[in-house]
Amino acid sequence: MDEMKILAEGIVLGASALGAGTAMIAGLGPGIGEGFCGGKAVEAIGRQPEASGAITRTMIIGDALAETTGLYALVIALLLLYANPLLGKLGEYLAR
Amino acid sequence: MPTALMLASEGGGITVNGPLVVVDNLFGIPGLKLTESIIVQWIVIAILLVVVLILTRNMKVVPETKRQVAAEWIVSFFVDTVDTTMGKKYHRYRCYIMALFCFIMIQNLMGLLGLRNPTADVSVTGTLAIITFCLVQFNRGKTGKFKGYMKSFVEPLPFMLPFNIIGEFANPLALALRLFGNMIAGTVINALIYFALGKLAILIPAIASLYFDIFSAVMQAYIFIMLSMSYISSADCEE
Repeated sequence: MDEMKILAEGIVLGASALGAGTAMIAGLGPGIGEGFCGGKAVEAIGRQPEASGAITRTMIIGDALAETTGLYALVIALLLLYANPLLGKLGEYLAR
Repeated sequence: MPTALMLASEGGGITVNGPLVVVDNLFGIPGLKLTESIIVQWIVIAILLVVVLILTRNMKVVPETKRQVAAEWIVSFFVDTVDTTMGKKYHRYRCYIMALFCFIMIQNLMGLLGLRNPTADVSVTGTLAIITFCLVQFNRGKTGKFKGYMKSFVEPLPFMLPFNIIGEFANPLALALRLFGNMIAGTVINALIYFALGKLAILIPAIASLYFDIFSAVMQAYIFIMLSMSYISSADCEE
């Protein structure tokens, strides 16, 4: 019975690690978005150097918004790695 | 659910801790905890209080000391920022925005003193986001009264109602998670670098810390106030 328990926990932990890694593929989206944002800002400053202050401010907000999805993925990955809710579920299941 | 996570390398392994619970069951109330985040926040408040008291002592009409010039520069920076982002109509929010920025920035910089960032705790950032959420609702109710408040949820079309309500709650959630995620990412990555380099941790952690502890700290505080300001001023029924 004990070996079964260890095996079950091992499977859950391994799958969680894979899940955390997979979740961070979401880093692609914000990367592309922020790159676009920065590139367009550079273009805009090149066209209108006197408006660089306002453009930079807008760019920072755009960057922050683009980052949101990546941060959701990061939170999910951290939850899976350090505060795994699935292990609790497994404990409940095994106790039954 | 644990409120936050933290890494600390201890003798070859990495352990994960939430914010330290200093006193459990405060005043005999079960579940009421005094955590590390609250203690560090008290330190932040003390620092802010001392700085403000020093900067505003012996003010003159024409600034004589560098202290007063610095204080006036800081205040005029926030006055300009609020006026350009929210408009002159919202001059009442200047004090709140300035206090919010200073509070978040000093909290983020606490990592430099070796303390735990209070903002790497989702309860702290969540509280700050809820204050912004309340201000958004307050501003919408104040500018639109009851009718305008209700009407703002069925605009532009009535079937948008569920999306508008979800969007209303998604904003503070994203605001809280953005600050929390950035600060916890800095903490975790720094701990991982220390763990990976072991005894060779000489120059690289300093460069990483320069980005995560200083640049990211100031930037995230700035982003938090900019987004708060645009959320509050966009919840205006009169425009």
